[in-house]
Amino acid sequence: MNLTPIIYVENVQFSYHATRVLNHVTFAVQPGEFIGIIGPNGGGKTTLLKLLMGFLTPTTGLIQVFGEAPDSKSAHQRLAYVPQSIRFDREFPISVEEVVLSGLISRLPWYGRFRNQEREAALYALERVRLADYANCSFGTLSGGQAQRVLIARALVSQPQLLLLDEPTASVDNQSETDIYAILKELQEQKMTILMVTHDLRIALHHVERVLYVQEKVWTLKPEEVCEHFAIGLFHPPLIRPGASRAKLTSTSG
Amino acid sequence: MPSFLEALTTNPLLLAAFFAGLAASVVSGIIGSYVVVKRIVFISGSISHSVLSGIGFCIWLERTQGVTWASPLLGALIAAVLSALIMGWIHLHYKQREDSVIAAIWSIGMAIGILFISQTPGFNVELTNFLIGNILWVSKTDLYILWGLDISVVLLILCLHKRFLAICFDEEQARLQGLPVNALYLLLLTLTAISIVLLIQVVGIVLVLTMLTIPAAIANLLTSRLSQMMILAIGLSSLFCVSGNVVAYYLDWPTGATIALIAGLAYVLSLVFLRESKQATRKEKKALSETLKA
Repeated sequence: MNLTPIIYVENVQFSYHATRVLNHVTFAVQPGEFIGIIGPNGGGKTTLLKLLMGFLTPTTGLIQVFGEAPDSKSAHQRLAYVPQSIRFDREFPISVEEVVLSGLISRLPWYGRFRNQEREAALYALERVRLADYANCSFGTLSGGQAQRVLIARALVSQPQLLLLDEPTASVDNQSETDIYAILKELQEQKMTILMVTHDLRIALHHVERVLYVQEKVWTLKPEEVCEHFAIGLFHPPLIRPGASRAKLTSTSG
Repeated sequence: MPSFLEALTTNPLLLAAFFAGLAASVVSGIIGSYVVVKRIVFISGSISHSVLSGIGFCIWLERTQGVTWASPLLGALIAAVLSALIMGWIHLHYKQREDSVIAAIWSIGMAIGILFISQTPGFNVELTNFLIGNILWVSKTDLYILWGLDISVVLLILCLHKRFLAICFDEEQARLQGLPVNALYLLLLTLTAISIVLLIQVVGIVLVLTMLTIPAAIANLLTSRLSQMMILAIGLSSLFCVSGNVVAYYLDWPTGATIALIAGLAYVLSLVFLRESKQATRKEKKALSETLKA
């Protein structure tokens, strides 16, 4: 069955000053897919996410998210982004509930007070990531894994159809990693479309349905085709496990 | 020598200074908290010093050109808002060289001020008051302006606080949520500029950063919510103003410098005692959450 793609990228090129970061990138993402984005540092993974959110504009080519331009209000209303928790200032005076409610800031009335329905939505989002008891805690006192789950709750509170995650399991302990994958598995079962940038392929490959390998270009691979060396961070050509079948070594539309 | 309380009830200048200090504390606590968490202290320093260009220009207009409406306060306000908007624009468009440009605006502003003042005949008492502050110089009209601006800032913040919180915590997420991040950032800088002009009346250009950042920085060590941090910072700022007034009265010291010195000492003490205790509390909480998880 060929559904209308949620993300459609056609022949995109992006350069930062004189440096070409992405070149001839073409792929599509169907509703309900769970996709892992891998590649070496500086390969263009974060740039790709920023292009999909409309924070950057491609030099050439076409990007559509939900059939719209990626910086359109309609696209932004249906996607959510989870950054790495490590980049946040742990001294920042903000509670867990306030962080989650900031995911609903577009619904804040002019007088600046959230209504009960938004507060209930925030509490429900925290329940989904099993952190409802921490609503009144300071965000800075949480462990790395808990902080990451709070950021996932902030993304979920607006009930998005597309979830973009930037290395959600970086700098978290093994238990937190298991917890985060359990949450993502539940979301996958609820048919949410998920794109996750990851470096840690050991566990990711067991969960994702498809892998996008980004190194200036984008290659689509099946998890079983990804060479095991990638799992320990050694990105090298050829991209696939020797002998693996049906590998797609060219940019594809998935 | 009458006691401070007796002097407060009998001397209208001292009473006006007391209320001016409290009024300045309100903006210092609220806007200072944003300045500290958004890490725009350097930008605030630049705004406060470039204010001298407006003051110098207006004093020159008033004294040599006979433009009676060109008061130094008006010049300060216009210069502060203009430099805030220029720096905001640079922050949004030329982030890579931001610190150098801020430093340039800092010194260009001061240079313009000094040039105009050098062309103005006579000894400028007003200029000295602006530079090192003289809370006793606050007039009744200034007090009305101070409290009027206080009320406006409080009302605006009541409506916009959560939006400001969102852009201070995670600008990217706020942008994704459709917030007008650039406009809110420029508004925050404009409010900072207005607050700086109010605070300059109390402690002067040279010491204004003390009032803007120290109460908020101490409050940040005491709480983990921005709204509570603001209330604490208002309290601390008022305490520094009142105690500064009292000490300056008895020792016959300049009030602005005394307030700044007390605030500075309190900050050093808070860093020694509160920071360690905050870190210990944080570790305890983390350990507790690990235990709960296990």
